[in-house]
Amino acid sequence: MDGFVNWLAGTPWSIALHESLYMYSITESAHVLAIMLFVGTIMMVDLRFLGVSYRNTPVSEMTAKMLPWTVAGFIILCITGVALFYAIPIRTWHSIWFRIKCVLLVVGMINAAWSALKVEHDKEKWDLGPTPRKAKVAACISLFVWTFVIVFGRLIAYNWTDCDQNQSPFIQQIEDCKAVPADT
Amino acid sequence: MSLYHIAQAIEGSPVGQAIRESTWLFPAIEVVHLLCLAVLGGAVLMTALGLFGVGLKTASPQEIEVSARPYMTSSLVGILITGLLLGASEPVKLIDREAFLIKMIALALALLFTYFVFNPIVRKGDTGVQAKASAGVVMALWFIVALSGRWIGFS
Repeated sequence: MDGFVNWLAGTPWSIALHESLYMYSITESAHVLAIMLFVGTIMMVDLRFLGVSYRNTPVSEMTAKMLPWTVAGFIILCITGVALFYAIPIRTWHSIWFRIKCVLLVVGMINAAWSALKVEHDKEKWDLGPTPRKAKVAACISLFVWTFVIVFGRLIAYNWTDCDQNQSPFIQQIEDCKAVPADT
Repeated sequence: MSLYHIAQAIEGSPVGQAIRESTWLFPAIEVVHLLCLAVLGGAVLMTALGLFGVGLKTASPQEIEVSARPYMTSSLVGILITGLLLGASEPVKLIDREAFLIKMIALALALLFTYFVFNPIVRKGDTGVQAKASAGVVMALWFIVALSGRWIGFS
């Protein structure tokens, strides 16, 4: 991976995107705006799973009608997220916040898969009644994970934990600072 | 007293100074600002998508709005409080930025339009062209607020 990100950083398009006046800003803005679509719709579905809101709407309708918007947001986030990584590969790859965010992304996706396959498989039984405990657990995990994905994602932009900022051995270890090329 | 002097007074205030001089206070407030934005996005979308006929169908937009209202209002309160704190940390820089000016105008319009046009229309149970148009305007206004807000950091 280190070899890959070091190579990526030297590709002309990566440098162009990083140094462009508008493209980087436009990409990051699209990333932030897509959060409203992705996390916004997820949170509303989670609130239905928790049984605190939209209680007159069947769970099956809530998930079916909101899913396309969540997926649309996710696609925009993935495309712009990859582009943002591509623009600043080495620094992002070594960022502690990026690393935690990646772990949380995996947890969030596993939770979404568990929710869709295991939690919702008998949802017709509780479509309008009280939601079962498993649905509430899945919703709580989802709210927690996506909240902190936003938190850590935002923190990537700050430089206090950059390898060139004289970090503690702990941070250096997690960020694998030894592998950062000397000329960056 | 000019706008510049007011900005200078805010910047020199204990709150402005504390946020500017702390390493983590600004990012922490900014993260809450961003989280509130996500909630606002969800709350606005629920009602607007329902009106366009591409969201919930069994609940009327009127009913959806009742469910979404607490999230819309609380996220807006959160956005305004955190936004004021963020602004207080560097107002002198902000008042010269085009993106900030655009955001403040769009924010005022978005708040007025949401609470005095869009919400009343939805609460009346109107789902016609007028309601759909107002949903489009509401989404466009909040889109501009969020975009110009992000752009403050780039300008």
